Amino acid sequence: MKNKIKNTTRRSFIQGATAGTALAAAGISGFPHVVRAAAPVKVGVIHPVTGWAQYSGSQCRFGALAAIEEVNASGGIKSLGGAAIDAMLGDAQSKAEVGAGEVEKMADAGVSAIVGAYASNICLATTQAAAKHGIPHAVDVGVSDKIVSRGLTNTFRFGPGFGAITKAGVEGFLAVNKAAGNPTKTVAIVNEETTGFGAGIAGIMTKGLAPAGIEVVEVLSHPTPNKDFRNIALKLKEIDPDVLIPSHYYNEGVLFLRTLQRQKVQPKAIYSVLGGASSQYRFVSEFPDAAQYVMDCNHWFDPRNAGALALQKKTNAAGLHYNYEVFLAYTAMMFTLDAIERAGSADRTAITEAMTASTWGGHIMPYGATKMENGQNTGARPLVMQVQGSDIGVINPSEYATAEAIFPRPA
Amino acid sequence: MTKRERILGWAFIVCVLALAPLFITSNRWIDFLELTLFVAVLGQGWNVLGGYGGQYSFGHAVFFGTGAYIQALLQYKLGWSPWLTLWFAISGTTAVAAMIGYLSFRYGLRGSYFALITLAFAEAFHVVSRSWSSFTEGGQGVQLTLNQDPALALATFQFSFGGPFMKAYGFYYTILAILMISYAATWWMEHSRFGAQLVAVRENEDAAEALGVNAFLVKMRAICLSAAITASGGVYYVQKFLFVEPGIAYGTAKSVEALFAPIIGGLGTVLGPLIGSFFIHGVGEIAKEAIHGVFGDRPGVDLILFGIILVLILAFAPRGLVGILERVWIRLKARGDA
Repeated sequence: MKNKIKNTTRRSFIQGATAGTALAAAGISGFPHVVRAAAPVKVGVIHPVTGWAQYSGSQCRFGALAAIEEVNASGGIKSLGGAAIDAMLGDAQSKAEVGAGEVEKMADAGVSAIVGAYASNICLATTQAAAKHGIPHAVDVGVSDKIVSRGLTNTFRFGPGFGAITKAGVEGFLAVNKAAGNPTKTVAIVNEETTGFGAGIAGIMTKGLAPAGIEVVEVLSHPTPNKDFRNIALKLKEIDPDVLIPSHYYNEGVLFLRTLQRQKVQPKAIYSVLGGASSQYRFVSEFPDAAQYVMDCNHWFDPRNAGALALQKKTNAAGLHYNYEVFLAYTAMMFTLDAIERAGSADRTAITEAMTASTWGGHIMPYGATKMENGQNTGARPLVMQVQGSDIGVINPSEYATAEAIFPRPA
Repeated sequence: MTKRERILGWAFIVCVLALAPLFITSNRWIDFLELTLFVAVLGQGWNVLGGYGGQYSFGHAVFFGTGAYIQALLQYKLGWSPWLTLWFAISGTTAVAAMIGYLSFRYGLRGSYFALITLAFAEAFHVVSRSWSSFTEGGQGVQLTLNQDPALALATFQFSFGGPFMKAYGFYYTILAILMISYAATWWMEHSRFGAQLVAVRENEDAAEALGVNAFLVKMRAICLSAAITASGGVYYVQKFLFVEPGIAYGTAKSVEALFAPIIGGLGTVLGPLIGSFFIHGVGEIAKEAIHGVFGDRPGVDLILFGIILVLILAFAPRGLVGILERVWIRLKARGDA
């Protein structure tokens, strides 16, 4: 070694050093730089991050950005030479017309696709505005079936819609009830009626439970927002149904379940469909007693999927709660990025075609391989969960179950 | 300002707005203008009753929502042409306004009592639209069938899938036409005997009655005109978004938007709601861009900045922006004369 150094001339040292530096530079930044030189692909992310839906919108935004971060970290869109995804953020301010305005901004900015926009009424406006410009739009949460029934070829929903969820809600309840020896004879439904999803659920549950000999003895509706559930709780105490089926948004869900606890209303089970709070970790951690044994048919990830658990960890590490907004927005974004990868192009038409023909199966949801029909993923389905201790376990269907249903719940 | 100067000023504004699409090709800014003109229409509706008549309504959403629902339901349930339903929407809302006006003014409700009764009516309509599901589709709202055939764009009053010009500017010129008609009506009112009587009622209702003004009739006419203008905003909204639900139609957001524009711009002036609407949306956009440029993505901070600016305007410009513009104009003229 010493000899070698001794024999090195100044010229050879400089030559060697220059070559080494050049190689090192190429190794550190040169070749990846060539790969990274592909133009970034702009993707619009629209959510209501201010206004009444601020909490849910912010959760959605986190989920969508987590997907982009993950894809960028793993080398971007490979079919586009490792092109990075550039997120263009939009705030719908919880208003449909503002959401549509954000789409116009994004159309000007040349986004290749849009993901959003949480609430159904905002999604109706944003998908329509996106269709005007031929921008493919993946809906993350909005469950209204009207979103995908208007013949808009640019609109896709990866998660389940209202019809599929309520159908699974009835089937899930009947399965849980049957497994427990059919203890349910009477049911009371408490639903929000402002946005319609709660009212729709009441009608479908009433129809679906009748053939099983379960009588809906009372349907109690309330507006959203609602600040006081005492009257409804007292009425329920008087009726004393076997099972209570609530359906509302997060704030009302929390208030309702806490009021039931305070008023000591104790049916055999509380089984919600799209319950705003029922299968939310935030609610379980903040009000564990009120949340105990509550069952909910709702959006849920595949509990055995490593990617889903990794996202949960990441979400918790960010100080957020891992709820359906996060994983639905994450999956909708991943679906979009997969379509860009398959299309091998940032062209809107090519991405739309890739979304239409998507067979994507590497996701974290219990949906199986993707199959789009009129923009709706036909395999999308909800699961039935139950709060047990400080955790939320899947109790139905059996292929995804991580816990046994506790029904009737202990007094 | 002389009458000639005002006419020239208006001609300039109309020309600028009509020719704006020649210079603005950005979807974003056309949409910004559309939204601004839409709020300017709602603001003028409120201004006729609140600004000229001194009858402050907190529930103007009742007129916006009723217009929107009639426009949507007649198409959805009966399959009528939107060009026909719009007349029913405007006249039906005017009838609702006549009922509310009769019940309120007949029993002498003024000031905060009138404000509260309008708020109560808006909430009552909100509840009815939510609960009467068989007729209004309840909370799920009414979704109109989307037309994607460019040949039928005009017939269906849906321009989003029309030809290139219609697609880009169809709704812009629609709302501009509504704005011009409603502002012309307000201009006529301001210069008519009815307008003078309305201002007299605003200034002192008892004194006006002592001079022979039928205050009840004047206020009834004002609420009907106000409702017709606001309903036309509802018609535009439904045709653009093809969707209406109780929260959008009768929620407080539209009532607040309707009263903010004239209060900021200048109460009891034709120009006030337009300037107010431009200011509200312009400042909102600038605040959003400025906050984004300085602090990055901070949702809601722009709304705080926007709120502070609004409070400052209300505190230091009680006659609104029109008052400031008039003062500036007078000073400039005085300098020119000197």
